[in-house]
Amino acid sequence: MLSQAGDPGLGPKLGSAWISPSTGGILPALPALRDLLPRGGLARGSVVAIAEFGLLCLALAAGASADGAWCAIAGVPEAGVLAAVGLGLDADRTLIVPDPGPSWPQVVASLLDGCELVLLRPPSRAPAVVQRRLEASLRRAGGVLLVAGEWPGAQLCLRVGRQQWTGLGDGHGRLRACRAEVTADGRGEAARTRTRWLWLPAEDGRVAAVDPADLSLAEAPFAGDPPRLQAVGAG
Amino acid sequence: MSVRPPPRVLVLRCPELCEPEVFERVIAVLAGFCPAVEAVEPGVCAFGARGPARYFGGETVLAGKIIAAVAGVDVEGRIGIADGLFAALLAARGGHPVTVVPPGRAAEFLAPQPVSVLLDQDQDLAGLLYRLGLRTLGDLAALSAADVASRFGDAGEAAHRLARGGSRPLAVRPPDEDLSVAKEFDPPESRSEPVVFAAKALAERMLSGLTARGLTCVRVQVLARWADGRQSSRRWRHDGMLSAVQVADRVRWQLDGWQSADEPTERTEPTADGAATAGGIVLLRLIPDQVVRATGHQLALWGETAVSDRVARAAMRVQAMLGPEAVLRPATGGGRDAREQVTHVSFGEKGEPSRSGGQPWPGRIMGPAPGLVYPENLEARVTDGAGQAVTVSGRCVVSASPAALAVGGGPPRPVTGWAGPWPLSEHWWDPAAARRRARFQLETDDGRAWLASVQDGRWQVEAGYW
Repeated sequence: MLSQAGDPGLGPKLGSAWISPSTGGILPALPALRDLLPRGGLARGSVVAIAEFGLLCLALAAGASADGAWCAIAGVPEAGVLAAVGLGLDADRTLIVPDPGPSWPQVVASLLDGCELVLLRPPSRAPAVVQRRLEASLRRAGGVLLVAGEWPGAQLCLRVGRQQWTGLGDGHGRLRACRAEVTADGRGEAARTRTRWLWLPAEDGRVAAVDPADLSLAEAPFAGDPPRLQAVGAG
Repeated sequence: MSVRPPPRVLVLRCPELCEPEVFERVIAVLAGFCPAVEAVEPGVCAFGARGPARYFGGETVLAGKIIAAVAGVDVEGRIGIADGLFAALLAARGGHPVTVVPPGRAAEFLAPQPVSVLLDQDQDLAGLLYRLGLRTLGDLAALSAADVASRFGDAGEAAHRLARGGSRPLAVRPPDEDLSVAKEFDPPESRSEPVVFAAKALAERMLSGLTARGLTCVRVQVLARWADGRQSSRRWRHDGMLSAVQVADRVRWQLDGWQSADEPTERTEPTADGAATAGGIVLLRLIPDQVVRATGHQLALWGETAVSDRVARAAMRVQAMLGPEAVLRPATGGGRDAREQVTHVSFGEKGEPSRSGGQPWPGRIMGPAPGLVYPENLEARVTDGAGQAVTVSGRCVVSASPAALAVGGGPPRPVTGWAGPWPLSEHWWDPAAARRRARFQLETDDGRAWLASVQDGRWQVEAGYW
C-alpha cells in the first residue's frame, strides 16, 4: 500500500482514461448538463460541436476537468479562464494553445494523446480527409473533441438559443445571472432533440437548471416583445 | 575549512543581441582571445580569464581589446570579470562597459545586490527570501550556512554559497566513462524542428543515464554533423541544472544560428535547399561536459499538480512544433481586469500569479466572470438614441443613456440594459502607467452582455458574457 502512496489518485484516473471507446466510456458532465446529453456525459471518442464559443463550451470542459481529466483549449485565445474555473475547471490540469497555427490538425492530434478533452475552435476549415484522420486518432485515444464551430459528422451538436441576463437595469444594477435555452441534437442515440433552460451562469458562477417557476418569467419578455421582429423593424 | 577561491571568469554580455547568427560571429571573435568559449545563454558567453589576461597584459586591457573586437562586428558588449561565473555575470549587467571585481572581493561586490538576481537560479526561492525580509545577497550571506540549509534545503544552500562569492559547482570532475548520447539521422534531416525534437528525447536519455549514476551535468556539449562533413560544436552551460527542455532549446538556438549563417535560403525552402547545400544533419551528439554529483531534487511540498508523463509528452510535442511559448498553463490571481486575473505560464516553466489573489482589488467588477476575455480590447462604438457617441465627463457623468453598441466594426445592436459608469483609476502614482477609465456593462437585444470601457472618449470592449 505504502509504495502506491506516491501518486495518490493518479493510478485509477489514468486507468479510467484508457477505457477503450468501444466499452462505452463517458467523460462526466456537470449535473445540470446531464439531461441534455444522451448518456449523461460526453461519449469517449466522439466529436461534440457547439455552434459558437462561449460559456457552454467551458461548462462542458469543466465537468470533465472537475472529474480529474486533463483539458486543452486550442485556438481560443479569448477563453475566459476565470469563468471556466468558476464553472468547475481545474486550471492546474489545463493546457492552453492560443494559436495552433496552420498545422492545427497535428497539434490537436498531439494534444489528444495527452489530454482527455480538447476544446478546439478550428482556425480554418479542414478538408474532409483531415477531419476523418483526426476522428480516427480521437477514437484511438479515447478522448473527446469539443469543437466550437461547425464539424460535419459530429455525434452531438449543441447550441444556445435565446438567452437573457438578469440584474441589469437602465443605468443601474450589475449582471447577475443568465438564463439560456440550450438545444442538443445529433446522430444515433442523440437524434432526439432536447431543449433545456439553464442558468448559464447562475449567480454563483456555476451552471444550474432553471426552475420551471422561473421559466414563465423568462419566457415573458420574449413573448411580449419579440427581439427578432424588433431588430428588423429598427432597420 | 579553507575554500579555494573560484577561478577568474570573464563574461561578455550583448544586451541587444537577438539574432543567433550574430551571436555565432561574436563567439568566433572571442575564440581569437581564448579557444574555450562557453555559451552561457543566448547573448551571453564566458571563459576563464586567467590565461588570456596574463597573455594580453592584464584584465582591463583584455576587456578593452574584446570590446573593441566585438564592436568590429557591430555588437555592443558589456564585460564583467570576477571570481566565479555568478559574480562575473552580475558584473556584466552593470552600467559600465567593463566592470572588474578585484580578486577575493566577490562577496563584497555581491552584498548590495538585491535577492532578485537569484531569479534566474530559482524563482520561488528569490520570492520567498524577499518576503522574509532578506532584501540583498548580503543579508543572505550574513546568515549561517547551517541555518540556511536547514530552512531552505539544497536550493537555499546553493544560493547562500553564491551570495558568499562561492561558485557552483564546487566539485567538478571529468566523467570517467562515456556518458554521451547520439542519434543518427538516416536519411539526413534538413529541417531543424525534428532535430530539436530528437534532442529533447536524447537529453532525457542523457540525463537519465547521469541520474542512474548519481550525477548531474552543468555543461553540455552539443555536436551536430551535416551530411557534407561539416560540423557545429558548442558548449552550453547554466549555473543551475539543465533540464531536457532547456537542452533542446539550446540545440534549436545553435542549429538556427548555424543554418541561417551558412545558408540564408535554408529557412525558406527547408527540404530542397538544405539537402542540396549541406545535405541535412546526419548526427546529433550530446556530451555531458561538466558532471557533478547530484544533490537530489525534492518534489515541491505543496502547490504544483504532478504532470503525468503522457501530458508532458503531448505538450512538449506541440512545443516542438510551435515553440515553447505556444503551450501555456493558466494560473489565477488577483486583479481588476478579467485579463489581469489570469497569468499564463509556458508549459514546463515554474510560475506563480503575478498579482496576489488574497487581497481586495477595489474597482473589480463583481458578479459572474465573463466567458470571453479578449487578449486585445476590441474597438467599439456606443451611441445614444440620437446617434451621438456617448461620453463620460471627468466627474463621471454619462452624456446620455447608451442605446446602441457596435463591436469591432460590426453592425450596431440595440442596448436593452446597461449599468455604470464605474470609474477605474489605476497606477495613479506612476505618470507613465496611469490611466483613468470608466467601465460599463451593456446588454444587447440578442441576450448577450458586454464589458465595455471608455477612456479619453474611446470605447473598447474588454470581455463578453456568454
